[in-house]
Amino acid sequence: MEMGLALGAAIAVSFAGLGGGVGMGQAGGKAVEAIARQPEAGGDIRTLVFITFAFIETLTIYGLVIAFMLVNKIQ
Amino acid sequence: MFGMWDAMITPEGFPLPIPHLVVTEWAIILVLAVFAYSASRRMELVPTGLQNVLEWLVTFTYDFFTSLIENEDAAKKWAPLLSTFFMFIIISNYSGLIPGAAHVSGFQPPTSNWNVTCTLALITAFTVQLAGFQTHGIHYLGHFISPNPVMLPLNLLEEITHPLSLTVRLFGNIFGEEMVYAFMLAMVPFLIPTALMALSLLLGGIQAIVFTLLSANYIAASTGHGH
Repeated sequence: MEMGLALGAAIAVSFAGLGGGVGMGQAGGKAVEAIARQPEAGGDIRTLVFITFAFIETLTIYGLVIAFMLVNKIQ
Repeated sequence: MFGMWDAMITPEGFPLPIPHLVVTEWAIILVLAVFAYSASRRMELVPTGLQNVLEWLVTFTYDFFTSLIENEDAAKKWAPLLSTFFMFIIISNYSGLIPGAAHVSGFQPPTSNWNVTCTLALITAFTVQLAGFQTHGIHYLGHFISPNPVMLPLNLLEEITHPLSLTVRLFGNIFGEEMVYAFMLAMVPFLIPTALMALSLLLGGIQAIVFTLLSANYIAASTGHGH
């Protein structure tokens, strides 16, 4: 039971982090490309990419919260 | 786990238990109030010292929010709320880094608790609806059935998920960072956690920016021209 909880927490946080990391990497890379090509649009792009990161990050944080709930149950 | 409600101040004959969290929040509010009062007490045409800082902060946040919210009146009306959000969140995120703060039993940054972030997110949610009604009047209700009345449940769901995601994002980030820091401190007590503290300095600032940015975005969506 406890091992299942621990494994569940680990799987939740690792898969959430994996997906979020891939997505953020792609979005951040494209944003850097865009700013390098057109530095005068940097401010707008930065705001937009911040919002995008926030949305991606939410999904990762959902996994983290599930992991915390599971770890809380272990004791 | 961190003590959620076990750290309480219970003076004799005072039945209401006050969590440490609330005391920390009061301290943050006091700091902000004293700063605002002392900076604007004796205002001059050519600003010096604290007044300079406050004027820079006000003009910067005002320009930022007017560039984000296309409706000028709404931006002017809600910019003070959003900049207060920003200052409150950034100070409470950084309050975990104050030297010696960890020695106070039951201390935790206010934003690392569900209840605080949920309150902030609910304020945003109600502000969004209020701003929408103030700008569009009764026509604001039309946006709930905007492309098609079939979309009504989805639109309502969206209004619920906005504060939920705001809550979880801020809470999860700050709480997760604190937990990682605690684990790290238990494993390697010296030197290594310092790098993590530098990282959390960055993270706290970014989370404060993201919360205000998204709040401004939601207000912009509800006060802008609908589809």
